[in-house]
Amino acid sequence: MAAVAAETTTGQSEWEVAVPEKPLKEKVYFENLKAQVIDTELCSRCLTCAAVCPALPEGITLTADDKVGFPDYEEKCLDCGACVRVCPRFEYEPKSGLGEYTDFIAGQSKRFKGQDGAMVTELIVSAIEMGLIDRGLFVGRDNRWATNIFHVRDPEQLAITTLGGTKYTFASVLPELKRAVLLTKSGVGVVGTPCIVSGVRKLQQEFPIFREKVKLVVGLFCTENFHHTEISDYLQKKGVDFSKLVKTDITMGKFIATMTNKTVKFKVKALEKILPSGCNVCTDFTAVEADASVGSVGSAAGFSTVAVRNENARRVVEFIKKRGYADFGEGKPEELAFLVGHKKKRAENIPGFQDQEDK
Amino acid sequence: MQIQIQEAVNQIMSAVASNQVNVPLLQPILDLVAQIPMAGFLVSFVLWKPFFAALICPGLSTLGILLLVFPWVERKLCGRIQWRVGPHEIVWWLGGLPQIMADSVKFLFQEVIVHKDADRPYYLQFPFLSFIAALLPLLFISAGNIIAIETPYAIQLMLALICLFPLFILGLGWASNNRFSFIGTVREAFMSFAYEIPFIIAVLAMIVLYGTSNPLQMSSTGGLLEWGLFRNPVAAFTFFVAAAMATSRLPFEIAEAEQELAAGPHVEYSGISFGLIYVMCYEKAYILSGLMTILFLGGGSGPAISGLGDLSGAVWFLAKTVVVMTTLFALRTIYPRYRLDQGLKIGWGAMISLSLVALALSVVIVLVQGGIGGVEGVV
Amino acid sequence: MKKVSVSEQGLVEKAKRHAAAVGVAMKESVTPLTATVFYPRERKKMPDNFRGYLLFDPEKCINCWECAFICPANAIQMKKAPAPNNRFYPTVDYGKCIFCHFCIDSCSGGALRTTKIHDVAYREMGEMLTLTEEMIEPPEIIREDKKSVEYEIEKDDLHLKRTREVDGLFVEPTPPVEIPMVSQCVDRASCLGCRVCEEVCESGAISSSSAEGVLEAEGVLRMKIDIEKCTGCGLCVKECSMQILRLVRRGK
Repeated sequence: MAAVAAETTTGQSEWEVAVPEKPLKEKVYFENLKAQVIDTELCSRCLTCAAVCPALPEGITLTADDKVGFPDYEEKCLDCGACVRVCPRFEYEPKSGLGEYTDFIAGQSKRFKGQDGAMVTELIVSAIEMGLIDRGLFVGRDNRWATNIFHVRDPEQLAITTLGGTKYTFASVLPELKRAVLLTKSGVGVVGTPCIVSGVRKLQQEFPIFREKVKLVVGLFCTENFHHTEISDYLQKKGVDFSKLVKTDITMGKFIATMTNKTVKFKVKALEKILPSGCNVCTDFTAVEADASVGSVGSAAGFSTVAVRNENARRVVEFIKKRGYADFGEGKPEELAFLVGHKKKRAENIPGFQDQEDK
Repeated sequence: MQIQIQEAVNQIMSAVASNQVNVPLLQPILDLVAQIPMAGFLVSFVLWKPFFAALICPGLSTLGILLLVFPWVERKLCGRIQWRVGPHEIVWWLGGLPQIMADSVKFLFQEVIVHKDADRPYYLQFPFLSFIAALLPLLFISAGNIIAIETPYAIQLMLALICLFPLFILGLGWASNNRFSFIGTVREAFMSFAYEIPFIIAVLAMIVLYGTSNPLQMSSTGGLLEWGLFRNPVAAFTFFVAAAMATSRLPFEIAEAEQELAAGPHVEYSGISFGLIYVMCYEKAYILSGLMTILFLGGGSGPAISGLGDLSGAVWFLAKTVVVMTTLFALRTIYPRYRLDQGLKIGWGAMISLSLVALALSVVIVLVQGGIGGVEGVV
Repeated sequence: MKKVSVSEQGLVEKAKRHAAAVGVAMKESVTPLTATVFYPRERKKMPDNFRGYLLFDPEKCINCWECAFICPANAIQMKKAPAPNNRFYPTVDYGKCIFCHFCIDSCSGGALRTTKIHDVAYREMGEMLTLTEEMIEPPEIIREDKKSVEYEIEKDDLHLKRTREVDGLFVEPTPPVEIPMVSQCVDRASCLGCRVCEEVCESGAISSSSAEGVLEAEGVLRMKIDIEKCTGCGLCVKECSMQILRLVRRGK
């Protein structure tokens, strides 16, 4: 830290940037990314590339069908290679299993009400109260259940009911994370699916500013996620009225959409036709790289499972225990085995995976 | 029958003719006018001393002119002392004198509003009654040797009438039926008790000193050192402060208290009824200054101005009165307003003590100069 | 609660003070001082830094918006100027302006300057919104004054000093003090290597080793800020998407 501070006062007039290698020598970096990740259907739509793309006025962004794209990249791409440097799937190393953890516990927040134990909210808010971070990024939704990102800086902001709960829809967390990192004073906490967590880790690996400012990464247990357009069409076909929709949930292999007047249930398998290609190749269920992973599986009803993976998260959990903000119980890692295994099987879908296995 | 009437008229005529205001300067013109049958009679009637005193000087006409001019004089004086010299644009060469015309016209033609809650008959009566009551002491004021009613009890009668003023102010505040005017009324009542007692005792001290309460005899004592001001300065000071309190102007503007009570007892008044109340304090100031001139400044005494005859004393009297009035009004530029409690403390504390000291001083002086003689005026 | 007390004075001291007050009143009633300025016929001499009507010079405006940002009364709005340059220039709403002149203090190009004009008349509220083109030239002035007036304080008294000269209403603006700045990278590890800075740099101070073939050969991109060429304009600082460039004082 001291070295960084010294640099801030004087500054550098000469510096070097390591440039990644291009598999396609003659093309710009985005074309490389496109060829290697997007076209091969590896892209998880984590938007890490969009977060760093410096092209103006608009670089890597979302296309109309909710995929990662770059209109007019031939003209606008600056060919800097930042997207390739941060893309977690450019050189894809699939992770799976439960990952390393120091504690595997079940928790139920006393302060917040959520789908299960509201432990995600509790973790971020407690980190704000500790002073570890000064803002947390939450995914909210509008009345069409399209996602948007909230900077939560005060527990009172969580009175917005749309902040909690699962959305089963991709969100643009990482572009907002970059904005938050440039704004923050002490640190940022972020919540995301395993793909977003690996995007954050990749950013932290490449850029010191993220290493310094992103203090708490809460991963979510994730089997799959859906493009907003596709899942909303599907749900409407199933008779879900978005104006009355209260929460969505997946339990025991069933998708349950609870509305104010009725509930719609159907098998998750039915959603397989709209399963995004990125999720089809994802083997990570428990967000192995996160500071703490949270999900509903592996604990009693009304409790959230929390896998504490490193020092930062452990301090937050201890703070919660000390203040008595939550009830804690035993987590049952073995209950996750089925879903972990289910996701691990998806490795078969990765092109070239079979070859690696053979070697 | 006709002869009897003729005799009566002749008697009146001789009585009127024997008691004329003698002005040598005007005598040729008067002689000329006397040739005209009716006019001669009228002129001699006007110049009949009691009538002249009541109507012209020191009576109504003089008062009218002073009431018209003095608000302007006061404004000019305060403006100069407080660096507000003006006007610079409109009739600056007259010092904005037409303003008094504008004021009078405004007072005369503004609508008199009687609000719903007011006690209508009293609300309308009291301004006029108070104005008339304030006129009555003029009958006993002597300008030189001109006086309307000559009586040995003149000063006492004046005191009685002066002490009547607050009654009407209380009346108008009560009739207004408004919380501000009511508070102002109560304050006025408080203050009137506070100043009246020292005021009366100070006048009493002078009556003891002079041995008479006839203004003509008081003012005939000539010589500068014979003035009451030098013979009993304590009484003079007490009288002056009590007069300032009685006019209820700054620094004793406690009843009106523009800043917190809007205008005290007369907050509800408008038009001519307000105008009458507004000029009443100038009227009061004139009467009290006249009384002060008689008691302390030798009345109309002064070097005789040749050609004016009887009017010489009147001119001196008026000059002194105007000086006292001006001083009274200049006080507002020097002192800020006292609070009610401070005003009461001054009235009931320092003023009563001072007036008693003044009375004692008078008694001592009279005893030292040899016996109390000719004090039939004192009750 | 603490009771406020008046300092106790002796009777003599009190009398003295009363006498002094009466004396002053008598003196002033005879020879009153006056502090009145006969305004249309004479004007008070204003200091050069008088906060009056604003004038604007579009030539010097660097379009930094600082005046609009700092205006505490929100009187300054930026309006897009017509073609060809398409830049944004300030407009002042004198209905809101509190004449704090923060805008002038914040104007780094010296485009805004003050005048001694303090008496502008408008026919309607709408006119008070002064557009940029109206701020370039001063408003039409009808001057009736033949004298200028200054206050002079001597001991306790205030005097007016009148001189037979007409005070100029326009002040030559003092040229802004330039703090030599230079752009520097404060977090080189976070550089994306996007070379946006090189692209926007107008003085050609930022260069990179992105020439044909060099990148491939070396595997690293070399960025360089030529301190001699850098004008400290801050364009690169504004455009850097990772915000790793800063303006620092030159020669430190």
